[in-house]
Amino acid sequence: MMKPLKLLALFVIPLGIIIAAVPPDRVKHFRLTADELLQEAGAGVQFISPDVVADMLVQKDPSLRLIDVRTPEEFDAYHMDGAINIPLSSLLSDEYTDILHQDAYMNVFYSNGSVYANQAWMITRQLGYENNFVLEGGLNYWFGNILSPEAPSLTSPNEEFAKYDFRKSAAAALGGGGVVATDNVAPAVKAVRPPVMSKAKKKPSGGC
Amino acid sequence: MGPLAPYEIISENTNFLLAFFIGIAFGWVLESSGFSSSRKLAGIFYGYDTVVLKVFFTGAITAMLGLLFMSLFGWIDLDLVYVNPTYLTSAIIGGVVMGAGFIMGGFCPGTSFCGAAIGKIDAMVFVGGLFIGVYGFAFTYPWWEKMYMAKYLGEPKVSEKLGMSDGLFGLLLIIVALGMFIVAEWAEKKWPREEY
Amino acid sequence: MSKNTTTERSRRYLNPYLGGVLLGLVLLAANFVSGRGLGASGAVKSVVATTIEAVDKDAASTMPFMAEYAESHSGSPMRSWLVFQMLGVIVGGFLSGAVAGRLKLKVEHSPKITSRRRLIFALMGGILFGFGSQIGRGCTSGSALSGMAVLSMGGFITMMAIFGTAFALAYFFRRNWI
Repeated sequence: MMKPLKLLALFVIPLGIIIAAVPPDRVKHFRLTADELLQEAGAGVQFISPDVVADMLVQKDPSLRLIDVRTPEEFDAYHMDGAINIPLSSLLSDEYTDILHQDAYMNVFYSNGSVYANQAWMITRQLGYENNFVLEGGLNYWFGNILSPEAPSLTSPNEEFAKYDFRKSAAAALGGGGVVATDNVAPAVKAVRPPVMSKAKKKPSGGC
Repeated sequence: MGPLAPYEIISENTNFLLAFFIGIAFGWVLESSGFSSSRKLAGIFYGYDTVVLKVFFTGAITAMLGLLFMSLFGWIDLDLVYVNPTYLTSAIIGGVVMGAGFIMGGFCPGTSFCGAAIGKIDAMVFVGGLFIGVYGFAFTYPWWEKMYMAKYLGEPKVSEKLGMSDGLFGLLLIIVALGMFIVAEWAEKKWPREEY
Repeated sequence: MSKNTTTERSRRYLNPYLGGVLLGLVLLAANFVSGRGLGASGAVKSVVATTIEAVDKDAASTMPFMAEYAESHSGSPMRSWLVFQMLGVIVGGFLSGAVAGRLKLKVEHSPKITSRRRLIFALMGGILFGFGSQIGRGCTSGSALSGMAVLSMGGFITMMAIFGTAFALAYFFRRNWI
């Protein structure tokens, strides 16, 4: 029987070499399983209401980052204020990893409808990235309902009026079409920020 | 994917139950390795018994390799594993005070409980001392608070500070430890002693 | 290997390298299950906090130590991972000693000193270690061993301070051991 020390060395040195040789970012990774992704997508956690985004834009909230996932041509034709362009086809290119895999900003994907934005979300979410959301309804809804809000009928409930007032003033602030800015900017609908969906991960305390 | 408790794969109560069993294993291994004997423990400082060195570093290396490999296989999320914070001032001062306690008492808290469990009266007295020490700290805390909270550097890893990957540092640590073991074996041949 | 002259009928200790590997596996299990490593002094802290609270319900408002403890621990202080772990340690140590025939009530000391002297030093050592473990946020198990396994810088620093100091002071206490 070999001396214990030699036996130990025989084991740990190769293991040490292997673990040293493996590139660091492979040693730590976290991807969502298909099940988990299905759950989240089904619950619709990725959606963020356009009212919330409008509110953040009006308040000039610095944590918001709009990401336009359409083609560069569409982006040049029109894009939301302050948005950056990451075409869906180049979503996974290295230059955008830092933008998509981070925890400082709230990234909101948008496209004309929500198909492409949703796809962007699914891809990044599967990689385990967090803080990425999808603008509900996309640009189509944005134009139709935020920038040019429809006045509610007289029999609508109060919340509808509140929402309308909010959207009117937001549209005015954001340069919407065909709305006369009124003096009383009603901050009516106090948009509720969605909780940054961290998967109930409580870091354990320890020591002692 | 581990760790189980932070991911709520097991309940808090299960976690505590497992803590108990892990503790049993911990106590068993410590005692079986001879850590219930203060004379064996103090031996490293005089060269006559290097069990502390061998067990300690082999244990650290094994666990470290285990964690890194488990992370590599996606079995554990290292982001959720507790990394001890670094409060520079108190880490050093606390260590110095503990070092003095170690050479005087011949135990550390974990091993003293083991020793007490098998009937060593000096271990029991050490445990009593532990409580006195902690009470003392608790009641005089305001005197030390500033020093205790000083120089908080976050939870840096040594590998980060040295600018190398975890794995590379692990390899380095392994080599250093093996080197120490070789020296230890030489020392034990030179100063043989009887089993305590 | 060194001679093994035993005066009592006790089983030999485990080979230290084997013991180390087993210890590492236990530590690995602890991290996998609970996300934290092993420890010891924290359990003493919990007991202390519990007794203080039992005597003085309002301790958190008068003692900053208790307030700080309450901040990081919700619920009863005794419901802590370390407390359960330490209970296991006592059982495990006892079982191992029982199986190996090492159960015996005695004061272990170098033949060159008296029991009394040993006990006095054990007490002083315990007090210092208890105090130091609070300052250092952990002991050899929690800070040094578990810290090293996760490559914590604080853990390494504390470990070096503990062993460095003990080595430095060894000469002054040599009569107690050799």
